[in-house]
Amino acid sequence: MDNFEKLNQIFRMVFDDNEITIKPEMTANDIDGWDSLSHINLIVAVESAYGIKFSRKDVLSFKNIGDLYKCLESKL
Amino acid sequence: MPIDITDNCNIGYLCTEKQCYIGNGNKIAFRWIDLNGLVKDYTFTELHTESSRFANVLKNLGYKIGDVFFTFLPKSTEQIISFLGSLKLQLVTGTLFSNFGEDALLDRLGNAEAKVIITKKSFLKKIIKIKEKLPRLEHIILVDIDDHLSESVMSYSKLMNAADITFKVEMTRPDTPSILHYTSGSTGKPKGALHAHKSILMQSKTTEDILQLLPDDVFWCTADQGWVTGTSYGIIGPWSLGISQIHYAGGYDAEAWFKMLAEQRVTVWYTAPTALRMLMREDDSFFENWDLSNLRCIFSVGEPLNPEVILWARRVLGKDIYDTWFQTETGSIMISNRPGLEIKPGSMGIPLHGIQAAIVDDDGTLLPSGVQGNLCVRPGWDSMFITYFNNEEIYRSKFKYGWYWTGDTAKIDEDGYFWFMGRSDDVINTAGHLVSPFEVESALLEISEIAESGVIGVPDEILFEKVVAFISINKNVEWTRDLELKVRLHVSNKASSIATPQEIFVIDSIPKNKSGKIMRRVLKAKYMGADLGDISTLDI
Repeated sequence: MDNFEKLNQIFRMVFDDNEITIKPEMTANDIDGWDSLSHINLIVAVESAYGIKFSRKDVLSFKNIGDLYKCLESKL
Repeated sequence: MPIDITDNCNIGYLCTEKQCYIGNGNKIAFRWIDLNGLVKDYTFTELHTESSRFANVLKNLGYKIGDVFFTFLPKSTEQIISFLGSLKLQLVTGTLFSNFGEDALLDRLGNAEAKVIITKKSFLKKIIKIKEKLPRLEHIILVDIDDHLSESVMSYSKLMNAADITFKVEMTRPDTPSILHYTSGSTGKPKGALHAHKSILMQSKTTEDILQLLPDDVFWCTADQGWVTGTSYGIIGPWSLGISQIHYAGGYDAEAWFKMLAEQRVTVWYTAPTALRMLMREDDSFFENWDLSNLRCIFSVGEPLNPEVILWARRVLGKDIYDTWFQTETGSIMISNRPGLEIKPGSMGIPLHGIQAAIVDDDGTLLPSGVQGNLCVRPGWDSMFITYFNNEEIYRSKFKYGWYWTGDTAKIDEDGYFWFMGRSDDVINTAGHLVSPFEVESALLEISEIAESGVIGVPDEILFEKVVAFISINKNVEWTRDLELKVRLHVSNKASSIATPQEIFVIDSIPKNKSGKIMRRVLKAKYMGADLGDISTLDI
């Protein structure tokens, strides 16, 4: 499983929806339940799965899933 | 001028068909703006025919006056149309916040004995999981499938296509039950505050007197229709007066919102302190990009509006913000700031004309100005809740010494302005949403690793209050990042994202008194680093 597929699995777990298929250009508007509070769950889940830590600046800079993924890859 | 209800007091009728009769048929009732910025206008005639069509859908399925219908949708045109259609048929009409998890849904749908619900395909699995515990639930209508999935899971578009656009709204009495909104208490399950059709009188009056909407205004209420503000002022109040509204599918987004305010020439904007505090984080130069010359007034509701926000808006936007206060139970604004009344930053304002509010002590004695006490309102206003659905005993307990007890504490100054001080119970107000600590504690205890839980609200500079959980974990269980994630996701998916603890502390045991009640006061003091106070009843 590549990292993007692994990220997709995390989205499915966090938003409790096995039909989610993420794409880099997708934003919170494209996924049911992705609000500012569940965003924290997502960040914690990604950090936990990959053993990394996002800075506050990182988190605020994410405009879409592609940004999140790029930042994630840079930390691996 | 008060709206005329002599021909019919039905909310669905007064907001749609009546508007056509009085000459607003071709006027835009709302401009729908989707997440991609696509715009679709609905005239009052279209709102009337589409909501009538939905009334026929429910009628054709066999529903009749008094049956319970719920919407469980994110902001959408279908939510608005079905809400009004259901009211036309005189069904008890509830709305559910779209981020509710299955436990939250079960509590509400179960208590209400709901018979029919409208939702979307991706939410269906939440309902399927609890369906066996909802024996009264007969139909689930999905807005995003083309064909019926079964006799009980049906397609909205197919049902609508088969339904007639003509529907005669039967004469509806003012006291006929109408809207059902659930609200959280500090103990027990959420309670369904039920209103009557006559609530429209107050919603209309406050839209006119407090929000001061005029016939040519463009009004935008950012509240979700899952909550009382979204129905009282995102639907009923403005449309009872034939006012055009903006409805936007998305949530908070500074750029999208200001683009909307400028491009749609919004004249009156009703939003929430949390959103305003988030806007304050933007650089001042951001606000120079938008022409807000059409914007006449900004109103706020949900949590107390701190003075800093008012001062910021004066400096950066060149506008005042008028804070308003009401509750799910009150159905409409009760105490408020408003244009023409001097703003005292941080104050709730003064009661609406005809509303008698007071500060009383625990024995019901009126307290003088400057003294903090229980905020109470004299019962009898038209939008007052008529019961807690299937919970008459708790409803009655809210009325003592001739007053409705709001559960808020406040004080009055010498000029008659009210000042919010806090809650008299443990209910948490986070971003304008009331969260029951009991509900979160119950969800936490469903996790096998957790032995005890205690949940409190603590001050937060953006959310007003945030949810903080104290837990003790079972022996031989290690607190790890993975377990923290499990806890977060469990609460989020079972209750809702707004109930998810922002901070979790693992402690040896949860402080309880000798009768086993969680001493949240002690947890709060511990969190704030304050004196623990009298702990003589603590069971140690």
